[in-house]
Amino acid sequence: MPSRTKDILIWITTFMIMLIICMPGLWIILSAFRTNGEILTKPAIWIPETLTLDNFRAIFGYGENVVGVPVASYFRNSIIISATSTFLAVFIGMTGGYAFARYRFPGKGSTFLWLMLSRTVPGIALSLPIFIIWSRMGIIDTKFGVILVYTAINVPFTIWLTEGFFRQVPQDLNEAAQIDGCTRWEAFWKIEFPLAKSGIASAGIFAFLTSWNEYALASQLTRSTDSKTLPVGLMDFTAQFTIDWAGMCAMAVIIIIPALILTFLVQKHLIAGLTFGGVKG
Amino acid sequence: MSRFRRTIRENAVPFALISPAILVILIVVLLPLLFSFYTSFSNYKLIRPDTLWDWIGLRNYERIMGDWDFWVAFGRTVLFLTVALNLEMLFGLGLALLVNKITYGQRTMRTIMMFPMMFSPILVGFQFKYLFNDTIGLVNNALQALGITHEAIPFLVDRWWAFFSIAFAEIWMSTSIFAILILAGLFAMPKDPVEAAKVDGCSNWQVFRHITLPFLMPFIYIAMTIRSLDVARAYDVVDVMTGGGPAGRTELLWTLIARTAYDDARMGRANAMAYVSILLSIFFTWYFFRKLMDARKHLGAF
Amino acid sequence: MAEVSLKNVVKRYGALEVVHGIDLEIAHNEFVVLVGPSGCGKSTTLRMIAGLEDISDGEIAIGDKVVNMLPPRKRNISMVFQNYALYPHMSVRENLGFSLKIAKRAPEDITKAVDDAADILGLTELLERTPAELSGGQRQRVAMGRAIVRHPDVFLFDEPLSNLDAKLRTQMRVEIKKLHSKVKTTIVYVTHDQIEAMTLADRIVIMKDGHIVQIGTPLEVFERPVDTFVAGFIGSPPMNLIEGSVKDDHVVFSDGRSLPVPPDFTGKIANGRRVVFGFRADVLMPKGHTLAESGVLHDIDLTIDMAEPLGSESILLTTLGGQDIQARMHNPRPVTSGEVLTCELHLEKCHLFDADTTQSLRG
Ligand SMILES: Nc1ncnc2c1ncn2[C@@H]1O[C@H](COP(=O)(O)OP(=O)(O)OP(=O)(O)O)[C@@H](O)[C@H]1O
Ligand SMILES: [Mg+2]
Repeated sequence: MPSRTKDILIWITTFMIMLIICMPGLWIILSAFRTNGEILTKPAIWIPETLTLDNFRAIFGYGENVVGVPVASYFRNSIIISATSTFLAVFIGMTGGYAFARYRFPGKGSTFLWLMLSRTVPGIALSLPIFIIWSRMGIIDTKFGVILVYTAINVPFTIWLTEGFFRQVPQDLNEAAQIDGCTRWEAFWKIEFPLAKSGIASAGIFAFLTSWNEYALASQLTRSTDSKTLPVGLMDFTAQFTIDWAGMCAMAVIIIIPALILTFLVQKHLIAGLTFGGVKG
Repeated sequence: MSRFRRTIRENAVPFALISPAILVILIVVLLPLLFSFYTSFSNYKLIRPDTLWDWIGLRNYERIMGDWDFWVAFGRTVLFLTVALNLEMLFGLGLALLVNKITYGQRTMRTIMMFPMMFSPILVGFQFKYLFNDTIGLVNNALQALGITHEAIPFLVDRWWAFFSIAFAEIWMSTSIFAILILAGLFAMPKDPVEAAKVDGCSNWQVFRHITLPFLMPFIYIAMTIRSLDVARAYDVVDVMTGGGPAGRTELLWTLIARTAYDDARMGRANAMAYVSILLSIFFTWYFFRKLMDARKHLGAF
Repeated sequence: MAEVSLKNVVKRYGALEVVHGIDLEIAHNEFVVLVGPSGCGKSTTLRMIAGLEDISDGEIAIGDKVVNMLPPRKRNISMVFQNYALYPHMSVRENLGFSLKIAKRAPEDITKAVDDAADILGLTELLERTPAELSGGQRQRVAMGRAIVRHPDVFLFDEPLSNLDAKLRTQMRVEIKKLHSKVKTTIVYVTHDQIEAMTLADRIVIMKDGHIVQIGTPLEVFERPVDTFVAGFIGSPPMNLIEGSVKDDHVVFSDGRSLPVPPDFTGKIANGRRVVFGFRADVLMPKGHTLAESGVLHDIDLTIDMAEPLGSESILLTTLGGQDIQARMHNPRPVTSGEVLTCELHLEKCHLFDADTTQSLRG
């Protein structure tokens, strides 16, 4: 077979596979712009007759068919919780990652390992004791309680990523800066931080996405509009008698969009961070 | 004692730098785990706080050891993970090899490939609940419209179809992680050994088998390790899709824990189960991490 | 004015001691080179002077100030690193001016200082580039420029030329030497290349296993090595060292051949003492191919194994006392393998070391 034909065949195959992979997600997004009536019709209507933003209006409490789900509150909670826990996790993870990359100290290897292992604890298993303890401490169903938990679950991975990025910055740059008159602190902010910045940013975005998408813990630790996040709120639709598919799809789109943007932003760094951290030990 | 003090003093800076991380992990992971370890030896029921002090020794563990439902869920979880991880790896490998071959528009393909990674597990669950729905689901509609089936397939109800559906969702969600990491491996791969092997008369398959694949192994194990860190994400998927039902047909360890703890309010027993699930997770991570280390050693060059 | 003085300086990593009490006085404007084999503690010593490593014991003073507790930035030193350590996210100009900016100097001053330094090092054309856009030699120059802009009291160099190819290395060596005569400062320079040490140094400090073995001018360490280690380390090709025992003012080797002890030692060495007889290739030359020199000469017949022609001279490989040794042939002619040549040995330029302690027997 001539190689040109072969190339085209491979391209078409790959394209078809990609299409199939994207299909489910695209179908949800499409459904978000259709009316509930159209979604429920039998036999199915394949090509939508009208596209509408009504579902979005409805879940945010405008228009005629207002849904009883306070999506706006959930959205605000999600933003506050994800952003705060990301900020904390990046700060804590960055200091930790720096220590692991730059200093030798007794127990370094095992500390690192234990930090990483803490990440393996399944959310649901962790949620049971946290639920009880947080209840006693009175921080159940508060944003603070969720933020604390999300910070902790993001720290190990942030450490892993930032450690890798700091390790790529040669140690002698820091020393050169100290000799040039910087304190260790200045040397960090003026030299090492700018060089590892993009890596740290992607660690941050990764932490944000983890928090934004988390469900197992949030579903146990939040109860009301005070703290419920979008993924937990999604379940509100199923709790009702008839499932409001269109509303759910609209909410799904609300959840996806930030994730979509952020993933595009970090994809390059993320892959570099993951593979270099892992392969070059 | 003075040695301890000296160690602290000599390493004051790194210790200070890692202490916030340690502290927050201590509060949010270690303390709760110690607490749940204790409650796994008690008869703690959520609705009766005084039962927290009701020490019953190993009884919870004995109970779950003899609990048929638990072992079914456990077996199903292991089967689920084995099937899902292996298929994800195979599909990911295939996808990566295909994309690697493409010259025109490779970047775009790569980005499209990451599409599922942006979906939170809960969304993935919801998405497939919608698609596999027996009255309005895309899949059933399509099958009927094409005349392949006349009756709707009970994707989320029938025992085996339901297992298929949750595994499908899980694989859809995670294949791209494998594909992306393996692709990174393919990009990092030096050309010389492949060319040398071709000169030595290896067929394409032999080149793949003896040169490419061994080189990719560390990347595959990294993907496995990263994946095994969060296998429990499957809980979210299953919780939305079937909630472990109907009648426990898709019950995984994690949904069983949630049910035992919150619906049955048997915290003590649930915590005992949770410990089993933690060990399972640690085992998977540890196993692949070891494999990663071995593969790295074999490839000395790294 | 900046003398550097090290008094009994010790470096320990945990229980492991890697520098064992070094004493060294460096004069103002002196160019001192630390040499020694890999792992002997040169970098560690230099980094202690820089303040990049804590000093476990002893005292380091720069000028008349003890700097043990001062961080690097307060020592008024500058350092050129082996891998240059240029800041990749800054242009050459920013790299050069960084230390002045940190010191909060006025922008006009910085521009001027940077331009001056660039001028000295021929970097003017490159000022707006980033380090990634420079060749190895140019990076090296930027690293030196960064060191000189501040007019520090002391320059520290840690193997600055080891990443360059042979030709560039020779060229940069000359530039460093010139630089020292232009910007008069105290320089401490680390290398494991003894040619660099010989050509650059006012004084050479030879280190081994965390100890200083010998300190002296290049000529002193070349002509009067204190032990076999220095003798073998300094000079190229390395000094020929043959073990034997003394009998009636002769050193008898394992193959039964012998050489008279050098004139300085005549009558001073007891019979039966185990010694190492040392001489450089330069003082063993075939008859008729010598440099016209007078002195105490001793003739010896040697079977030549091989000749390495270098053009204006050849290095002859031969054996004596069961050891491979080298001789030098001026105005060379082709030599066939196995040919026997009568060679002249300048006895007064030979050395005797104790075979057990390896120390020189010269008083
Ligand atoms: N952080 C450290 N911990 C323990 N030992 C160390 C450390 N740094 C250096 N050493 C040891 O100290 C000794 C001296 O090291 P140093 O870097 O000073 O050698 P060097 O003379 O500069 O060698 P080279 O020519 O290879 O650069 C070596 O044996 C080295 O292994
Ligand atoms: Mg060194």
